[in-house]
Amino acid sequence: MKDYLISTFIDDELGIDEKTEFVKTVHLNADFKDETLALIEQEKLLRTDTVNFVPPVVFSGKKSRFRILSLASGAVAALIVLGIFFLNPLSETQAGLVPYRFVIFQPRAATAQITGTFTQWRPVDLSPAGEHGYWEIVLDLPAGEHRYSYILNGHLQMVDPTITSRETDDFGGENTVLEVRR
Amino acid sequence: MENFKKFYGNTKDRLFGYLIRLTGDYELSRDIMQDSYTRYLDRYGDRELKLSLLFTIARNGAMDYFRKRSRSEPMNDSTATAAEPADDGENAILIREEYRLVMRAMMRLPPADRDLLSMVISSGLSYREIAIMTNLSEANVKVKIHRIRVKLKEIRDGM
Repeated sequence: MKDYLISTFIDDELGIDEKTEFVKTVHLNADFKDETLALIEQEKLLRTDTVNFVPPVVFSGKKSRFRILSLASGAVAALIVLGIFFLNPLSETQAGLVPYRFVIFQPRAATAQITGTFTQWRPVDLSPAGEHGYWEIVLDLPAGEHRYSYILNGHLQMVDPTITSRETDDFGGENTVLEVRR
Repeated sequence: MENFKKFYGNTKDRLFGYLIRLTGDYELSRDIMQDSYTRYLDRYGDRELKLSLLFTIARNGAMDYFRKRSRSEPMNDSTATAAEPADDGENAILIREEYRLVMRAMMRLPPADRDLLSMVISSGLSYREIAIMTNLSEANVKVKIHRIRVKLKEIRDGM
């Protein structure tokens, strides 16, 4: 008996003569039918979605105009943001920036960062808030629409789970869309 | 570049599905996927966008990993001891609970068997295309893939 016809059936690879043989065998042979059904059930499990989140590929260099999530650039971005905070806070207020607190609950993450239009897509570190897995940062943002994502452990990109407004980027990754009002 | 973006969007879930089924390791799959697309883009740009070529690059990356990891677990040794899935850290967070039980059984298959089964399940490539990629005859792929499914069922029944 050609048992392999079961897998050929599952994978839609049966030729026309094999289809005839397969159907006849299913009708005539109970063991073959049972094996077919058991393997179809197994196949449903095998083909179930494997992960909660497919990580995006980061393209860099001249061939891509897409963002680069490098840790090295994080330091530069941090300096920019810190400069905004500490060097000229008065002018920031005068410019009408709005303080916005970003918070994410990720108790298993070793590091958490934020990257977005307001950091020129450079990652900026969040700080642990308390001891229960919350991370936070307060950034002064101009009013308007912003896009951002969190980065966990230096490479795992994820949207803000607390905001439903999202947008896919050019490579199918997702960013949160935030509207800041004065 | 537009063509490559579409290609990436159409293939990334399938490629990651293949890699996670093959390796059982989220972080490793991410690294191999990253490397595969980067190599593809560097070598071929968007002149030649072929699913089988992408999977060949990724498969070679995974094989390199298995070779480096252990000589006792070569891709073509059907008696090799299978790996236990990493079940902590990112794996625990990101791999769906529904799939984790199946993954445990999958990881008891030898890597060569996981490779073939994962390729058939995830890629959408035909037996003929997979036969060319794996240097097997099409008839051999038919027989092998069925034996692997039966073996996996026996493993699951024994768990």
